[in-house]
Amino acid sequence: MTDKITDGRSDKAEIADEPTRRTILKATGLTALGAYVGMNIPFEGNLMALAQGMSEEDIMSGKNGLVLLNDRPLNAETPAHLLDDDVTPYKHFFIRNNGFVPDSALDMDAEGWTLTIDGEVDTALELSIGELKSRFEEVTLRLVLECGGNGRAFFNPGASGNQWTTGAVGCADWTGVRLSDVLNAAGIKSSAVYTAHHSDDPHLSGDPDKEVISRGVPIEKALAEGGIIAWAMNGEPIPAVHGFPLRLVIPGYPGSASQKYVNRIQIRDQEHDGAKMTGYSYRVPAYPVAPGTEVPEEDMVVLTDMPVKSLITFPQSGAQAAAGEAMEVRGHAWSGSGDVASVDISIDFGATWTPAALEAPVNKFAWQRFRADVTLPQAGYYEVWARATDLNGVSQPPVVPGWNPRGYGNNMQHRIAMIAT
Amino acid sequence: MTGSCSKRKNVKMSKTLTGLGAGLCVSLFLAAFGATAQPVYDPMRPSMSPLAPLATGPTAQGSQAELDPKLGNLPVGPGAEDTYYQCVGCHSTAIIRQQRLTDDRWDYLWTWMIDEQGMQEPEPEIAEQILAYLKTHFSSER
Repeated sequence: MTDKITDGRSDKAEIADEPTRRTILKATGLTALGAYVGMNIPFEGNLMALAQGMSEEDIMSGKNGLVLLNDRPLNAETPAHLLDDDVTPYKHFFIRNNGFVPDSALDMDAEGWTLTIDGEVDTALELSIGELKSRFEEVTLRLVLECGGNGRAFFNPGASGNQWTTGAVGCADWTGVRLSDVLNAAGIKSSAVYTAHHSDDPHLSGDPDKEVISRGVPIEKALAEGGIIAWAMNGEPIPAVHGFPLRLVIPGYPGSASQKYVNRIQIRDQEHDGAKMTGYSYRVPAYPVAPGTEVPEEDMVVLTDMPVKSLITFPQSGAQAAAGEAMEVRGHAWSGSGDVASVDISIDFGATWTPAALEAPVNKFAWQRFRADVTLPQAGYYEVWARATDLNGVSQPPVVPGWNPRGYGNNMQHRIAMIAT
Repeated sequence: MTGSCSKRKNVKMSKTLTGLGAGLCVSLFLAAFGATAQPVYDPMRPSMSPLAPLATGPTAQGSQAELDPKLGNLPVGPGAEDTYYQCVGCHSTAIIRQQRLTDDRWDYLWTWMIDEQGMQEPEPEIAEQILAYLKTHFSSER
Protein backbone atom coordinates (compact mmCIF):
# COMPACT_ATOMS: atom_id res chain seq x y z
CA MET A 1 0.00 0.00 0.00
CA THR A 2 1.33 3.40 -0.86
CA ASP A 3 0.56 6.60 0.95
CA LYS A 4 1.35 8.72 -2.05
CA ILE A 5 -1.89 9.62 -3.72
CA THR A 6 -1.87 10.39 -7.38
CA ASP A 7 -4.62 10.90 -9.86
CA GLY A 8 -2.78 9.66 -12.89
CA ARG A 9 -1.53 13.07 -13.97
CA SER A 10 2.18 13.19 -14.58
CA ASP A 11 2.64 16.77 -15.70
CA LYS A 12 4.94 17.60 -12.83
CA ALA A 13 6.75 20.19 -14.90
CA GLU A 14 3.63 22.28 -15.17
CA ILE A 15 3.34 22.65 -11.44
CA ALA A 16 7.00 23.11 -10.66
CA ASP A 17 6.53 26.80 -9.94
CA GLU A 18 3.47 26.29 -7.77
CA PRO A 19 5.04 26.83 -4.34
CA THR A 20 6.52 30.09 -5.55
CA ARG A 21 3.21 31.30 -6.88
CA ARG A 22 1.40 30.31 -3.72
CA THR A 23 3.96 32.14 -1.64
CA ILE A 24 3.48 35.29 -3.66
CA LEU A 25 -0.28 35.05 -3.34
CA LYS A 26 -0.06 34.62 0.39
CA ALA A 27 2.36 37.50 0.74
CA THR A 28 0.43 40.00 -1.34
CA GLY A 29 -3.05 39.00 -0.40
CA LEU A 30 -4.15 39.01 -4.00
CA THR A 31 -6.58 36.25 -4.69
CA ALA A 32 -8.84 35.81 -7.65
CA LEU A 33 -11.65 34.74 -5.36
CA GLY A 34 -11.78 38.00 -3.47
CA ALA A 35 -14.23 39.53 -5.89
CA TYR A 36 -16.74 36.76 -5.26
CA VAL A 37 -17.10 37.04 -1.50
CA GLY A 38 -20.75 36.88 -0.57
CA MET A 39 -21.77 35.24 -3.80
CA ASN A 40 -22.70 31.70 -4.65
CA ILE A 41 -19.82 30.03 -6.41
CA PRO A 42 -21.09 28.25 -9.50
CA PHE A 43 -19.98 24.73 -10.25
CA GLU A 44 -17.45 24.56 -13.01
CA GLY A 45 -18.22 20.97 -13.85
CA ASN A 46 -14.79 19.61 -13.12
CA LEU A 47 -12.98 18.37 -10.10
CA MET A 48 -9.84 20.44 -10.26
CA ALA A 49 -9.83 20.39 -6.48
CA LEU A 50 -8.80 16.76 -6.60
CA ALA A 51 -6.01 17.40 -9.05
CA GLN A 52 -2.40 17.71 -8.06
CA GLY A 53 -0.72 21.02 -7.66
CA MET A 54 -3.84 23.09 -7.21
CA SER A 55 -3.99 26.38 -5.41
CA GLU A 56 -6.58 27.46 -2.85
CA GLU A 57 -8.47 29.18 -5.66
CA ASP A 58 -8.84 25.87 -7.45
CA ILE A 59 -10.59 24.42 -4.43
CA MET A 60 -13.66 26.53 -5.00
CA SER A 61 -14.00 25.25 -8.55
CA GLY A 62 -14.83 21.85 -7.07
CA LYS A 63 -17.52 23.32 -4.84
CA ASN A 64 -21.01 23.87 -6.14
CA GLY A 65 -23.28 26.69 -4.99
CA LEU A 66 -21.51 27.46 -1.73
CA VAL A 67 -21.60 31.05 -0.44
CA LEU A 68 -18.07 32.35 -0.02
CA LEU A 69 -17.74 34.19 3.29
CA ASN A 70 -13.99 34.70 3.21
CA ASP A 71 -11.36 34.04 0.55
CA ARG A 72 -8.31 34.25 2.85
CA PRO A 73 -8.60 32.09 4.83
CA LEU A 74 -11.16 30.09 2.87
CA ASN A 75 -14.58 29.94 4.48
CA ALA A 76 -17.76 29.03 2.61
CA GLU A 77 -21.19 27.80 3.67
CA THR A 78 -23.82 25.66 1.99
CA PRO A 79 -27.38 26.86 1.29
CA ALA A 80 -29.90 24.59 3.06
CA HIS A 81 -31.42 23.14 -0.12
CA LEU A 82 -27.99 21.90 -1.24
CA LEU A 83 -27.71 19.78 1.91
CA ASP A 84 -30.59 17.49 0.94
CA ASP A 85 -28.40 14.40 0.35
CA ASP A 86 -28.20 11.79 3.09
CA VAL A 87 -24.44 11.92 2.64
CA THR A 88 -23.10 15.39 1.88
CA PRO A 89 -20.96 15.17 -1.26
CA TYR A 90 -17.63 16.96 -1.47
CA LYS A 91 -19.01 19.64 -3.76
CA HIS A 92 -21.55 20.68 -1.12
CA PHE A 93 -19.44 20.32 2.01
CA PHE A 94 -18.84 23.62 3.81
CA ILE A 95 -15.32 24.98 4.29
CA ARG A 96 -14.06 26.38 7.57
CA ASN A 97 -10.34 27.09 7.49
CA ASN A 98 -8.40 28.94 10.18
CA GLY A 99 -5.16 29.11 8.19
CA PHE A 100 -3.84 28.16 4.82
CA VAL A 101 -4.18 24.76 3.20
CA PRO A 102 -0.72 23.14 3.46
CA ASP A 103 1.14 22.61 0.20
CA SER A 104 1.39 18.88 0.96
CA ALA A 105 -2.41 18.74 0.95
CA LEU A 106 -2.73 20.84 -2.21
CA ASP A 107 -0.31 18.41 -3.85
CA MET A 108 -2.12 15.41 -2.30
CA ASP A 109 1.31 14.23 -1.20
CA ALA A 110 1.26 12.07 1.93
CA GLU A 111 4.81 10.79 1.50
CA GLY A 112 6.43 10.29 4.88
CA TRP A 113 3.39 11.50 6.86
CA THR A 114 3.35 10.27 10.44
CA LEU A 115 1.00 10.63 13.38
CA THR A 116 2.58 10.93 16.81
CA ILE A 117 0.74 9.98 20.02
CA ASP A 118 2.60 11.22 23.07
CA GLY A 119 2.28 12.90 26.44
CA GLU A 120 0.46 11.10 29.24
CA VAL A 121 0.78 7.66 27.61
CA ASP A 122 2.66 4.50 28.52
CA THR A 123 4.32 4.21 25.11
CA ALA A 124 4.59 7.09 22.67
CA LEU A 125 3.73 6.06 19.12
CA GLU A 126 4.83 7.37 15.75
CA LEU A 127 2.64 5.77 13.11
CA SER A 128 2.82 5.99 9.34
CA ILE A 129 -0.48 6.02 7.51
CA GLY A 130 0.34 2.49 6.40
CA GLU A 131 0.80 1.40 10.00
CA LEU A 132 -2.47 3.04 11.03
CA LYS A 133 -4.20 1.05 8.31
CA SER A 134 -2.51 -2.26 9.12
CA ARG A 135 -2.50 -2.15 12.92
CA PHE A 136 -6.05 -1.01 13.61
CA GLU A 137 -9.53 -2.01 12.53
CA GLU A 138 -10.86 0.14 9.70
CA VAL A 139 -14.25 1.73 10.29
CA THR A 140 -16.52 3.91 8.17
CA LEU A 141 -18.91 6.16 10.06
CA ARG A 142 -21.40 8.76 8.87
CA LEU A 143 -20.69 11.76 11.07
CA VAL A 144 -22.00 15.30 11.25
CA LEU A 145 -19.42 18.07 11.33
CA GLU A 146 -20.76 21.46 12.34
CA CYS A 147 -18.87 24.66 12.99
CA GLY A 148 -19.41 25.93 16.54
CA GLY A 149 -20.27 29.31 15.02
CA ASN A 150 -23.00 28.05 12.68
CA GLY A 151 -25.86 30.54 13.10
CA ARG A 152 -23.60 33.33 14.34
CA ALA A 153 -25.11 35.77 11.83
CA PHE A 154 -28.33 35.92 13.84
CA PHE A 155 -26.83 37.26 17.07
CA ASN A 156 -27.41 40.90 17.90
CA PRO A 157 -25.17 42.70 18.70
CA GLY A 158 -22.97 40.88 16.27
CA ALA A 159 -20.38 38.36 17.36
CA SER A 160 -16.96 38.40 15.78
CA GLY A 161 -15.99 35.79 13.21
CA ASN A 162 -17.43 34.49 9.97
CA GLN A 163 -21.12 35.24 9.82
CA TRP A 164 -22.45 31.74 9.20
CA THR A 165 -26.21 31.50 8.72
CA THR A 166 -27.29 27.84 8.60
CA GLY A 167 -24.80 26.22 6.26
CA ALA A 168 -21.69 25.43 8.31
CA VAL A 169 -22.74 21.81 8.63
CA GLY A 170 -22.39 18.62 6.63
CA CYS A 171 -22.58 14.87 7.12
CA ALA A 172 -20.09 12.70 5.25
CA ASP A 173 -18.93 9.10 5.40
CA TRP A 174 -15.53 9.11 7.10
CA THR A 175 -13.20 6.12 6.89
CA GLY A 176 -10.32 5.58 9.28
CA VAL A 177 -9.58 3.99 12.62
CA ARG A 178 -11.19 4.58 15.99
CA LEU A 179 -9.41 7.29 17.94
CA SER A 180 -9.95 5.20 21.09
CA ASP A 181 -8.17 2.17 19.55
CA VAL A 182 -5.08 4.23 18.76
CA LEU A 183 -5.02 6.02 22.12
CA ASN A 184 -5.49 2.73 23.99
CA ALA A 185 -2.64 1.19 21.98
CA ALA A 186 -0.41 3.92 23.40
CA GLY A 187 -1.84 3.29 26.87
CA ILE A 188 -3.57 6.21 28.53
CA LYS A 189 -2.14 7.05 31.93
CA SER A 190 -4.42 7.85 34.86
CA SER A 191 -2.98 11.39 34.77
CA ALA A 192 -4.56 12.02 31.34
CA VAL A 193 -7.08 14.88 31.28
CA TYR A 194 -7.30 16.30 27.79
CA THR A 195 -6.11 15.75 24.22
CA ALA A 196 -4.11 18.35 22.30
CA HIS A 197 -4.31 18.18 18.51
CA HIS A 198 -1.54 19.44 16.26
CA SER A 199 -1.21 19.93 12.51
CA ASP A 200 1.07 21.60 10.00
CA ASP A 201 -1.19 24.13 8.29
CA PRO A 202 0.54 27.50 7.77
CA HIS A 203 -0.47 30.44 9.97
CA LEU A 204 -1.98 33.48 8.25
CA SER A 205 0.78 35.70 9.64
CA GLY A 206 3.42 33.60 7.89
CA ASP A 207 5.11 32.89 11.22
CA PRO A 208 6.28 29.25 10.91
CA ASP A 209 6.39 28.89 14.71
CA LYS A 210 2.73 29.78 15.18
CA GLU A 211 0.06 27.09 15.25
CA VAL A 212 -3.09 27.99 13.31
CA ILE A 213 -5.32 26.10 15.68
CA SER A 214 -4.62 23.45 18.27
CA ARG A 215 -7.67 22.25 20.10
CA GLY A 216 -8.48 19.19 22.15
CA VAL A 217 -11.26 17.36 23.98
CA PRO A 218 -11.60 15.83 27.45
CA ILE A 219 -9.98 12.38 27.48
CA GLU A 220 -13.40 10.80 28.16
CA LYS A 221 -14.73 12.30 24.93
CA ALA A 222 -11.65 11.19 22.98
CA LEU A 223 -12.18 7.60 24.16
CA ALA A 224 -15.96 7.65 23.59
CA GLU A 225 -17.86 6.17 20.66
CA GLY A 226 -17.70 8.08 17.38
CA GLY A 227 -14.26 9.67 17.28
CA ILE A 228 -12.03 8.52 14.43
CA ILE A 229 -8.74 9.31 12.74
CA ALA A 230 -9.83 9.47 9.12
CA TRP A 231 -8.02 9.25 5.80
CA ALA A 232 -11.06 9.04 3.51
CA MET A 233 -14.18 11.13 3.00
CA ASN A 234 -17.02 9.54 1.04
CA GLY A 235 -14.69 6.76 -0.13
CA GLU A 236 -11.98 9.05 -1.53
CA PRO A 237 -8.78 10.38 0.01
CA ILE A 238 -9.78 13.37 2.14
CA PRO A 239 -9.72 16.40 -0.19
CA ALA A 240 -7.05 19.04 0.46
CA VAL A 241 -9.33 21.62 2.01
CA HIS A 242 -10.89 19.07 4.38
CA GLY A 243 -7.64 17.84 5.87
CA PHE A 244 -5.60 15.57 3.58
CA PRO A 245 -4.04 13.18 4.41
CA LEU A 246 -5.31 12.66 7.97
CA ARG A 247 -7.84 14.40 10.12
CA LEU A 248 -9.72 13.82 13.31
CA VAL A 249 -13.48 13.58 13.28
CA ILE A 250 -14.84 13.95 16.80
CA PRO A 251 -18.59 14.24 16.32
CA GLY A 252 -20.91 16.12 18.64
CA TYR A 253 -18.33 18.76 19.51
CA PRO A 254 -17.71 21.96 17.51
CA GLY A 255 -15.98 21.14 14.23
CA SER A 256 -12.77 22.75 15.48
CA ALA A 257 -12.20 19.70 17.72
CA SER A 258 -11.80 17.67 14.51
CA GLN A 259 -8.28 18.78 13.61
CA LYS A 260 -7.39 18.72 9.91
CA TYR A 261 -3.91 17.75 8.67
CA VAL A 262 -3.37 16.10 12.07
CA ASN A 263 0.17 14.89 12.75
CA ARG A 264 0.27 14.73 16.54
CA ILE A 265 -2.15 13.95 19.33
CA GLN A 266 -0.64 14.88 22.64
CA ILE A 267 -2.26 13.66 25.84
CA ARG A 268 -2.14 16.30 28.55
CA ASP A 269 -2.63 16.34 32.31
CA GLN A 270 -4.66 19.56 32.14
CA GLU A 271 -7.19 21.24 29.89
CA HIS A 272 -5.32 22.03 26.67
CA ASP A 273 -4.30 25.66 26.25
CA GLY A 274 -3.30 25.62 22.56
CA ALA A 275 -4.25 28.09 19.85
CA LYS A 276 -7.97 28.92 19.96
CA MET A 277 -8.54 26.95 23.18
CA THR A 278 -8.26 30.02 25.38
CA GLY A 279 -9.70 33.52 25.62
CA TYR A 280 -13.06 33.72 23.86
CA SER A 281 -12.40 31.14 21.13
CA TYR A 282 -14.90 28.28 21.19
CA ARG A 283 -15.92 29.34 24.66
CA VAL A 284 -19.20 30.55 26.13
CA PRO A 285 -19.98 32.43 29.36
CA ALA A 286 -20.28 30.22 32.44
CA TYR A 287 -23.57 32.01 33.25
CA PRO A 288 -26.36 33.67 31.21
CA VAL A 289 -25.52 37.19 30.04
CA ALA A 290 -27.49 39.99 28.42
CA PRO A 291 -26.70 40.61 24.73
CA GLY A 292 -23.59 42.75 24.33
CA THR A 293 -22.17 42.02 27.79
CA GLU A 294 -18.39 42.13 28.16
CA VAL A 295 -17.66 38.85 29.92
CA PRO A 296 -14.31 38.53 31.74
CA GLU A 297 -12.05 35.94 30.10
CA GLU A 298 -11.86 33.87 33.28
CA ASP A 299 -15.65 33.41 33.16
CA MET A 300 -15.58 31.79 29.71
CA VAL A 301 -15.82 27.98 29.56
CA VAL A 302 -15.08 25.57 26.72
CA LEU A 303 -17.98 24.80 24.38
CA THR A 304 -18.54 21.02 24.39
CA ASP A 305 -21.66 19.24 23.06
CA MET A 306 -23.36 21.07 20.20
CA PRO A 307 -27.10 21.63 20.72
CA VAL A 308 -29.96 19.73 19.04
CA LYS A 309 -30.72 21.10 15.59
CA SER A 310 -32.56 20.50 12.33
CA LEU A 311 -32.51 21.88 8.82
CA ILE A 312 -35.21 21.83 6.15
CA THR A 313 -33.43 20.80 2.96
CA PHE A 314 -36.44 20.31 0.67
CA PRO A 315 -38.09 22.24 -0.79
CA GLN A 316 -35.87 25.26 -1.27
CA SER A 317 -37.12 28.30 0.63
CA GLY A 318 -39.54 30.20 -1.59
CA ALA A 319 -40.93 27.11 -3.34
CA GLN A 320 -44.46 27.08 -4.65
CA ALA A 321 -47.05 24.43 -3.80
CA ALA A 322 -50.64 23.87 -4.85
CA ALA A 323 -53.06 24.93 -2.10
CA GLY A 324 -54.95 22.01 -0.58
CA GLU A 325 -52.53 19.39 -1.85
CA ALA A 326 -50.04 17.48 0.26
CA MET A 327 -46.39 18.18 -0.42
CA GLU A 328 -43.36 16.54 1.13
CA VAL A 329 -41.08 18.65 3.31
CA ARG A 330 -37.89 16.98 4.47
CA GLY A 331 -34.54 17.59 6.05
CA HIS A 332 -32.09 16.37 8.66
CA ALA A 333 -31.87 16.52 12.44
CA TRP A 334 -28.85 15.96 14.65
CA SER A 335 -27.62 16.55 18.17
CA GLY A 336 -24.25 16.87 19.84
CA SER A 337 -25.27 14.28 22.41
CA GLY A 338 -25.89 11.74 19.69
CA ASP A 339 -29.53 11.10 18.96
CA VAL A 340 -32.68 13.01 18.15
CA ALA A 341 -35.98 11.77 19.56
CA SER A 342 -38.45 13.62 17.35
CA VAL A 343 -38.97 16.39 14.82
CA ASP A 344 -42.12 18.49 14.57
CA ILE A 345 -43.27 20.74 11.76
CA SER A 346 -45.37 23.90 11.89
CA ILE A 347 -46.97 25.83 9.04
CA ASP A 348 -48.52 28.48 11.29
CA PHE A 349 -45.51 30.19 12.88
CA GLY A 350 -45.27 27.69 15.70
CA ALA A 351 -48.89 27.98 16.84
CA THR A 352 -49.48 24.25 16.18
CA TRP A 353 -47.03 21.43 15.52
CA THR A 354 -47.32 18.11 13.68
CA PRO A 355 -44.89 15.22 14.17
CA ALA A 356 -42.65 14.39 11.21
CA ALA A 357 -41.52 10.86 10.39
CA LEU A 358 -37.97 10.50 11.72
CA GLU A 359 -35.55 7.84 10.54
CA ALA A 360 -33.03 6.23 12.87
CA PRO A 361 -29.41 7.30 12.28
CA VAL A 362 -27.22 4.80 10.38
CA ASN A 363 -24.81 5.17 13.28
CA LYS A 364 -24.56 7.40 16.34
CA PHE A 365 -23.78 11.02 15.35
CA ALA A 366 -25.10 10.64 11.78
CA TRP A 367 -27.87 13.06 11.00
CA GLN A 368 -31.37 11.66 10.80
CA ARG A 369 -33.77 12.16 7.91
CA PHE A 370 -37.18 13.61 8.71
CA ARG A 371 -40.14 13.84 6.35
CA ALA A 372 -43.57 15.37 6.66
CA ASP A 373 -46.41 15.99 4.26
CA VAL A 374 -47.68 19.52 4.56
CA THR A 375 -50.91 20.83 3.06
CA LEU A 376 -51.14 24.58 2.74
CA PRO A 377 -54.88 25.41 3.13
CA GLN A 378 -55.27 28.41 0.83
CA ALA A 379 -53.26 30.52 -1.59
CA GLY A 380 -50.72 32.79 0.04
CA TYR A 381 -47.48 33.01 2.02
CA TYR A 382 -46.55 30.34 4.53
CA GLU A 383 -43.54 29.50 6.57
CA VAL A 384 -42.58 25.94 7.37
CA TRP A 385 -40.73 25.65 10.66
CA ALA A 386 -38.88 22.59 11.94
CA ARG A 387 -38.19 21.75 15.58
CA ALA A 388 -36.05 18.83 16.71
CA THR A 389 -36.13 17.41 20.24
CA ASP A 390 -33.34 15.31 21.72
CA LEU A 391 -33.59 12.25 23.96
CA ASN A 392 -33.57 14.47 27.05
CA GLY A 393 -36.66 16.32 25.88
CA VAL A 394 -34.66 19.43 24.97
CA SER A 395 -35.95 21.21 21.84
CA GLN A 396 -34.76 23.93 19.51
CA PRO A 397 -35.91 27.40 20.57
CA PRO A 398 -37.96 29.58 18.18
CA VAL A 399 -35.61 32.53 18.72
CA VAL A 400 -31.84 32.95 18.96
CA PRO A 401 -30.73 31.33 22.22
CA GLY A 402 -28.41 32.90 24.80
CA TRP A 403 -26.19 35.60 23.39
CA ASN A 404 -22.48 34.99 23.85
CA PRO A 405 -19.50 37.11 22.80
CA ARG A 406 -18.40 34.85 19.93
CA GLY A 407 -21.83 33.71 18.75
CA TYR A 408 -21.66 29.97 19.31
CA GLY A 409 -24.37 27.35 19.57
CA ASN A 410 -27.28 29.05 17.80
CA ASN A 411 -29.80 26.26 17.24
CA MET A 412 -32.89 28.35 16.60
CA GLN A 413 -35.60 26.64 14.54
CA HIS A 414 -35.05 26.66 10.79
CA ARG A 415 -37.76 28.28 8.71
CA ILE A 416 -38.46 28.28 4.99
CA ALA A 417 -40.96 30.26 2.94
CA MET A 418 -43.57 28.43 0.88
CA ILE A 419 -46.00 30.03 -1.52
CA ALA A 420 -49.35 28.27 -1.98
CA THR A 421 -50.97 28.85 -5.36
CA MET B 1 -21.50 28.65 -19.42
CA THR B 2 -20.64 25.11 -20.43
CA GLY B 3 -18.28 26.34 -23.08
CA SER B 4 -16.39 28.46 -20.62
CA CYS B 5 -16.16 25.61 -18.17
CA SER B 6 -14.85 23.05 -20.58
CA LYS B 7 -12.35 25.57 -21.86
CA ARG B 8 -11.10 26.00 -18.33
CA LYS B 9 -10.16 22.35 -18.03
CA ASN B 10 -7.39 22.96 -20.53
CA VAL B 11 -6.05 26.06 -18.89
CA LYS B 12 -2.51 25.55 -17.66
CA MET B 13 -2.03 25.82 -13.94
CA SER B 14 -0.13 29.05 -14.36
CA LYS B 15 -3.21 30.64 -15.88
CA THR B 16 -5.63 29.23 -13.39
CA LEU B 17 -6.43 32.51 -11.68
CA THR B 18 -7.49 34.21 -14.86
CA GLY B 19 -9.35 31.12 -15.98
CA LEU B 20 -11.30 30.83 -12.80
CA GLY B 21 -12.14 34.50 -12.81
CA ALA B 22 -13.48 34.36 -16.33
CA GLY B 23 -15.47 31.22 -15.61
CA LEU B 24 -17.03 32.77 -12.56
CA CYS B 25 -17.87 35.99 -14.37
CA VAL B 26 -19.73 34.18 -17.13
CA SER B 27 -21.57 31.96 -14.69
CA LEU B 28 -22.57 34.81 -12.45
CA PHE B 29 -23.80 36.80 -15.41
CA LEU B 30 -26.05 33.97 -16.50
CA ALA B 31 -27.22 33.35 -12.97
CA ALA B 32 -28.16 36.99 -12.54
CA PHE B 33 -30.08 37.28 -15.76
CA GLY B 34 -31.42 33.74 -15.88
CA ALA B 35 -33.55 34.28 -12.80
CA THR B 36 -37.02 35.51 -13.71
CA ALA B 37 -39.09 34.82 -10.61
CA GLN B 38 -39.51 37.66 -8.15
CA PRO B 39 -37.49 36.96 -5.01
CA VAL B 40 -39.55 35.54 -2.19
CA TYR B 41 -39.17 36.86 1.36
CA ASP B 42 -36.54 34.81 3.17
CA PRO B 43 -37.55 34.10 6.78
CA MET B 44 -33.96 33.17 7.64
CA ARG B 45 -32.47 36.42 6.42
CA PRO B 46 -30.43 37.87 9.30
CA SER B 47 -31.82 41.21 10.44
CA MET B 48 -28.43 42.65 9.62
CA SER B 49 -27.12 40.89 6.56
CA PRO B 50 -23.80 39.30 7.44
CA LEU B 51 -22.47 40.16 4.01
CA ALA B 52 -24.14 43.51 3.92
CA PRO B 53 -21.17 45.71 3.04
CA LEU B 54 -21.30 44.20 -0.42
CA ALA B 55 -24.79 45.45 -1.00
CA THR B 56 -26.35 47.38 1.85
CA GLY B 57 -24.06 48.14 4.69
CA PRO B 58 -24.42 48.26 8.45
CA THR B 59 -22.30 51.35 8.46
CA ALA B 60 -22.61 54.81 9.87
CA GLN B 61 -23.21 56.03 6.36
CA GLY B 62 -26.05 53.56 5.93
CA SER B 63 -26.73 51.48 2.89
CA GLN B 64 -25.30 53.98 0.46
CA ALA B 65 -21.71 53.82 1.74
CA GLU B 66 -19.35 53.97 -1.19
CA LEU B 67 -16.99 51.02 -1.41
CA ASP B 68 -13.43 51.27 -2.65
CA PRO B 69 -12.58 48.34 -4.94
CA LYS B 70 -8.88 49.25 -4.72
CA LEU B 71 -9.08 48.71 -0.97
CA GLY B 72 -10.81 45.36 -0.99
CA ASN B 73 -14.27 46.98 -1.07
CA LEU B 74 -13.83 48.64 2.29
CA PRO B 75 -16.16 51.62 2.69
CA VAL B 76 -14.58 54.91 1.66
CA GLY B 77 -13.64 57.04 4.66
CA PRO B 78 -10.82 58.32 6.87
CA GLY B 79 -8.62 55.38 7.84
CA ALA B 80 -9.68 53.07 5.02
CA GLU B 81 -6.25 52.92 3.43
CA ASP B 82 -4.37 52.33 6.71
CA THR B 83 -6.92 49.70 7.67
CA TYR B 84 -6.49 47.91 4.35
CA TYR B 85 -2.70 47.71 4.48
CA GLN B 86 -2.65 46.83 8.18
CA CYS B 87 -5.09 43.95 7.79
CA VAL B 88 -4.45 42.26 4.46
CA GLY B 89 -1.02 41.13 5.53
CA CYS B 90 -2.82 38.27 7.22
CA HIS B 91 -6.41 38.05 5.98
CA SER B 92 -8.66 39.47 3.31
CA THR B 93 -11.10 42.32 3.88
CA ALA B 94 -13.97 39.82 3.62
CA ILE B 95 -13.76 38.99 7.32
CA ILE B 96 -13.71 42.68 8.29
CA ARG B 97 -16.71 43.44 6.13
CA GLN B 98 -18.78 40.77 7.90
CA GLN B 99 -18.42 42.32 11.36
CA ARG B 100 -20.81 44.49 13.39
CA LEU B 101 -19.36 44.61 16.86
CA THR B 102 -19.40 46.64 20.01
CA ASP B 103 -16.50 49.04 20.55
CA ASP B 104 -15.31 46.86 23.44
CA ARG B 105 -15.10 43.83 21.15
CA TRP B 106 -13.06 45.78 18.57
CA ASP B 107 -10.66 46.84 21.33
CA TYR B 108 -10.36 43.22 22.43
CA LEU B 109 -9.86 41.91 18.89
CA TRP B 110 -7.14 44.47 18.28
CA THR B 111 -5.20 43.29 21.35
CA TRP B 112 -5.84 39.64 20.47
CA MET B 113 -4.46 40.11 16.97
CA ILE B 114 -1.28 41.66 18.36
CA ASP B 115 -0.81 39.30 21.32
CA GLU B 116 -1.95 36.03 19.78
CA GLN B 117 -1.97 36.32 16.03
CA GLY B 118 1.34 37.98 15.26
CA MET B 119 -0.02 41.30 14.01
CA GLN B 120 2.57 44.06 13.91
CA GLU B 121 1.49 46.97 16.06
CA PRO B 122 1.38 50.22 14.09
CA GLU B 123 2.30 53.66 15.40
CA PRO B 124 -0.20 54.82 18.07
CA GLU B 125 -1.85 57.48 15.87
CA ILE B 126 -2.28 55.00 13.00
CA ALA B 127 -3.70 52.42 15.40
CA GLU B 128 -6.15 54.98 16.72
CA GLN B 129 -7.29 55.87 13.21
CA ILE B 130 -7.76 52.22 12.20
CA LEU B 131 -9.76 51.40 15.31
CA ALA B 132 -11.90 54.49 14.80
CA TYR B 133 -12.52 53.41 11.22
CA LEU B 134 -13.50 49.87 12.26
CA LYS B 135 -15.78 51.14 15.03
CA THR B 136 -17.42 53.56 12.61
CA HIS B 137 -18.12 51.20 9.75
CA PHE B 138 -18.44 47.76 11.32
CA SER B 139 -20.31 48.50 14.48
CA SER B 140 -23.36 47.25 16.32
CA GLU B 141 -23.46 50.53 18.21
CA ARG B 142 -23.91 53.09 15.48
